[in-house]
Amino acid sequence: MGNIIETRDLWKVYRMDGMAVEALRGVNLVVEAGEFVALVGPSGSGKSTLLHLIGAMDTPTRGEVHLNGRTLAQTNDAGRTRLRCHEVGFVFQTFNLLPTLSALENVEIALRLAGVSRRERRARAIELLERVGLGERIGHLPRQLSGGERQRVAIARALANRPALLLADEPTGNLDSATGQVIVGLLRQFNTEGQTIVLVTHDPEIAAQAGRVLRIRDGRIQP
Amino acid sequence: MFDVAFKNLGARKTRSILCILAVVVSVYLNGSTATMNNWMYETMTSELARYMGKIYVQQGGSSYPPFDSTIAQATAEEILARTDLGLNREESTPLVFVRTERAMMPFMPAQAAVIGVPVGKENVLLGHTEAAAGVNRFPDAASDVTILGEQAAGYYQATVGQDVIINGQKLRVIGVLKPSAMGNLDRSAVVPLPASQHIFGKEGMVSAVLLTAGDVNRVEAIAAALRQDYPVLEVNTQDDLLTEARKVLQFPLFYMRMMSLTGFIVAMAVIMSTMVMAVMERTREIGTLRAIGASRRLILGTILAEILLLSLMGGIPGALLSMPMAALMRTRLPTPVQLTQIVLFAVVAGALGGLYPAWRAARVDPMEALRYE
Repeated sequence: MGNIIETRDLWKVYRMDGMAVEALRGVNLVVEAGEFVALVGPSGSGKSTLLHLIGAMDTPTRGEVHLNGRTLAQTNDAGRTRLRCHEVGFVFQTFNLLPTLSALENVEIALRLAGVSRRERRARAIELLERVGLGERIGHLPRQLSGGERQRVAIARALANRPALLLADEPTGNLDSATGQVIVGLLRQFNTEGQTIVLVTHDPEIAAQAGRVLRIRDGRIQP
Repeated sequence: MFDVAFKNLGARKTRSILCILAVVVSVYLNGSTATMNNWMYETMTSELARYMGKIYVQQGGSSYPPFDSTIAQATAEEILARTDLGLNREESTPLVFVRTERAMMPFMPAQAAVIGVPVGKENVLLGHTEAAAGVNRFPDAASDVTILGEQAAGYYQATVGQDVIINGQKLRVIGVLKPSAMGNLDRSAVVPLPASQHIFGKEGMVSAVLLTAGDVNRVEAIAAALRQDYPVLEVNTQDDLLTEARKVLQFPLFYMRMMSLTGFIVAMAVIMSTMVMAVMERTREIGTLRAIGASRRLILGTILAEILLLSLMGGIPGALLSMPMAALMRTRLPTPVQLTQIVLFAVVAGALGGLYPAWRAARVDPMEALRYE
């Protein structure tokens, strides 16, 4: 299988109050297709920064990121937007559903952004919501759903465009442990079907369920 | 993305309604001032169209109608008797103008007036204006009678056969006119010239002399000769009256335009502040959309769609509300094109006011989706 992610000597330096803060210091990472990788590390270790860089949300100070064969350094804002739309699915700690849209519309919006026809996006959104166990609640607004249900909608939205890579930033951070386990179980299920997943977490129990665990400390991946 | 834009507006109902109300008021203000402007122009031009080929002689005030003008009747008759000028004497007459009730506002026509015209010369003043009831000509040797303009009949609440009292003098109504193209005639009570002089103590005096050139091409030549022979008199042709009327209307029209501009700025400012607030509140939502693949152009389009909806929801009722004002001013109701222009006013105000919030929204970074605070 090919590599979905490959980073070479990846650096990210932030300027804060005139001081240079090195969030990432020469990260080399390879994630193969079909892998389920957990990035763990203490707060400020750089794990979320790494996730943002490989998800085309942010640009590195130095180094290279290859995402599904594309070099991000050579991609402009519009190109990165297209990558986020078609190649990457995001699951956020705070769910980030659009509050005025129903569960179904929240999933459909990702398909709309990708230019999928109305009929197809409706069918695909319903299918995904049924897969995450929300077939009966597709018309509910986010505020009418529990935290776990919202995160399941977010997972359905992230997977709507069949992305090469699913990135999850602390997806269980705002959930109780039982609900968190349900969400990780769902991610594992999609992984067994071939979905490549990179997950950032503090929780060792969650990380233990990934296929590979990478520890980050002080902006470097620990050997 | 109009459906998303609509839902966003619906999610913040109170704010959206307040914004729409402000736009309604602004557009109404604009529509009404446009109606007033139209009305003033219409009144002026239709009134003065009657003076094509005519010369208006007055003294002591060049405004029209010549309420402030006084000419000795002897001078008026001397002018009318001149054979060297080439006048159409049948169509020339002295007139008395008296304002009996002032205008509601300084630049508006008098609410009620009296026009004195010699018996047998009514046609010079009334032209083709027909009587809606009674007659439109004085009987021979008439004195204490009046023919009321269409609005004057309403003002005096009188019909044919009834008496009206003007400046303490009882006059029998012998006719009520149909609406004319002349606002001042519509608001006037037309009385025989001697009666008007008597009622207002103007014996031996008239307000103006209306002259008709025998040859329409000689209007300027006659006016020039009169100016030379009677330097104290104001000799106005239709063009002079138009210039004068425009001068008088300059201030009210400027004032109206300022009101209209204020409405425009208010609509723009309200839409801008509403949308800036909306964009600030929704920064994370916009960041999320960017994070899941929405382009800057799409974000811009969504915000502009919201602005367009706000503008239309305020603009259409505002434009329709300005119609009763047009009816009140007895001017033509706005045409569909004019109504569209009034609505477009709101759309342009919205577009200008929305540029900054839309630009700001389009600049939101996808990383904003990850700010959890």
